[in-house]
Amino acid sequence: MRMSVGLLFAQLLNGVAIGMLYALLAFGLSIIKGLLNIPNFAHGALFAVGAYVSYAVARASGSFWLGLIAAPVVVGLVGLVIERVGVRRLYGSAYLFQLLLLFGVALILQEVIIIIWGPVGQSMSPPAALAGAVDIGITLFPRYLAFTTLASALIISLVWLLIQKTRYGAVIRAGIEKKEMVSALGIDVDRLFTAAFGLGAALAGLAGAFAVPVVGATTAMGADMLAIAFVVVVLGGLGSIYGAILAGLLVGIVQSLAALWVPAASTVMIYVAMVLVLWIRPQGLLGER
Amino acid sequence: MRRRLGWIPWLAMGAGIVLAPTVLPPAMATEILIYAIVAVAANLLIGYAGLFTFGQAAFFAVGGYSAGYLLAHHQVSLPAALLTGIVAGGVSAAIIGAICIRRVGIYFIMLTFAFNQMIYYIAYSWHSVTGGEDGMAGIVRPPVELGALGRISLDRPLAFYALVAVVFLVCFAAMVRVVDSPLGKIVIAARENSRRVASIGYNVQRAQVLMFTISGVFTGVAGALYGMLYWIMPIDAVHWMNSGYIVFMVLIGGTSSLFGPVIGTAIFIALQDIFSTFWARWPLLFGVVVVAVVLFLQGGVIELVERASALLARRRLGREEAQAGVTAPAGAVVEAAGDAPPAPRE
Repeated sequence: MRMSVGLLFAQLLNGVAIGMLYALLAFGLSIIKGLLNIPNFAHGALFAVGAYVSYAVARASGSFWLGLIAAPVVVGLVGLVIERVGVRRLYGSAYLFQLLLLFGVALILQEVIIIIWGPVGQSMSPPAALAGAVDIGITLFPRYLAFTTLASALIISLVWLLIQKTRYGAVIRAGIEKKEMVSALGIDVDRLFTAAFGLGAALAGLAGAFAVPVVGATTAMGADMLAIAFVVVVLGGLGSIYGAILAGLLVGIVQSLAALWVPAASTVMIYVAMVLVLWIRPQGLLGER
Repeated sequence: MRRRLGWIPWLAMGAGIVLAPTVLPPAMATEILIYAIVAVAANLLIGYAGLFTFGQAAFFAVGGYSAGYLLAHHQVSLPAALLTGIVAGGVSAAIIGAICIRRVGIYFIMLTFAFNQMIYYIAYSWHSVTGGEDGMAGIVRPPVELGALGRISLDRPLAFYALVAVVFLVCFAAMVRVVDSPLGKIVIAARENSRRVASIGYNVQRAQVLMFTISGVFTGVAGALYGMLYWIMPIDAVHWMNSGYIVFMVLIGGTSSLFGPVIGTAIFIALQDIFSTFWARWPLLFGVVVVAVVLFLQGGVIELVERASALLARRRLGREEAQAGVTAPAGAVVEAAGDAPPAPRE
């Protein structure tokens, strides 16, 4: 089978764009996991809520940008509430209870979406400023994908700066390293946890908003994305919140390129890639052991 | 001493199995028993091995689809169909378990979930075999062949219920044996302290993968029965929500015995039935129940366990107190029976 270089390159860029969305989503999951030490089963549902909120706000206001801002804010607030009202009460109890709580929350969010927007998916085109494609010589690249790639990279960099360079970020890193010590130093760990959950949720919401003009808003997207985010975090590596970024890109590229050869099984290829990576590096890409 | 109550839960369960089809619609009673196999098998991992699996629906579906395909297209016999469920569930669980076990804790949970989704995608997109979104239709219930005595058709609901009840009891007894076996002891010990178990020479990972496989075997056979029950294998059976439901069945029933998940399954299926009759969006109500149970009734669950263990501890102290006439609170006897670990936990 002959494959034109242009097509290959286009799919590669496509993979990078999708991969950045995965990275954004999984980065949030990774922060929550790092600090609270729970797998956020509601993360996919939060992503879907972000998608629908941005869709609804953009429809109502006529401005894509307003939707893009509203999604992370609303989803971040939902995240704060989930942590404050739910997860907070369960830090002392068995692991499985936290997991089940988040499962219940995911069910509720998913059903609320169906009640408000119906079971049929919604779609939205990118704003006029981002419509069309740019010619980058070897192939055409949709403007909107270029935008989400750059915007995701920017947001990830900002959060990275926040975590690496600010005092607040130092507390987050210390909390991931050793919660008890941070608490002993007189820092309010509870507030830290709430903020981390809110931040992680906001990132999921933003990723959801970015995704709408690409894949639309569907009720199944939450579960799909949750599985991918989990794979990305596992691939990223033990104890490394940044591994998720690298792994997100990898998964996006694998999925896009696989679509060229085995279109029907491109999603399954993600898992094949995961198994291969875990075989070679059991601790994950950036994991330390 | 724990043996003294040993036969009470068995008796209660036996009575429940006999009475269930008289008070419940037979299909519902059958579904309870099928999912009870799944929940008890899940508890082998969650409660006994301490492996929090969130992907049991994958093995359920692989067993159901494999057996269903042969039943729908190749008119295989009943034993062959059940055997297919066993093999398919076991093999898929062995492969997935061997990969997931490479990671522990949260990562293990996430991996089991991710593989559940992978099987879902395969079932969803392999339309020619699985029927995709519409489910695999055309599954038949082959008759029970009794040789010279003729055959028993399973098309009548009660006949099929009887078959499922027999399979359930065989599976349940087998799983009790698994828990009491050396393998069971190893994984239980590894749950408490895997390093110590490894240091006395056991291969912990191998034992855990084996347990995973055994769990998959029972889950797979239940999947085969499920397809026969509704003459169709729906795509929902492999949805991740189904895995969540299975975890919920195990948790509300209690993880410290094999009887607990059976009760949990009955509660769940009943709840599902009640909710789904008056609202298509019943998972919302169910989500609320899950959150409420976890947040507000958790004290009750823990209290239940505590009361049960206090009761056990009192027994261990000796007969004096018992003879002094300390009567157990009403209901506590049953709870103690339900929550008493078949193996001592110390």
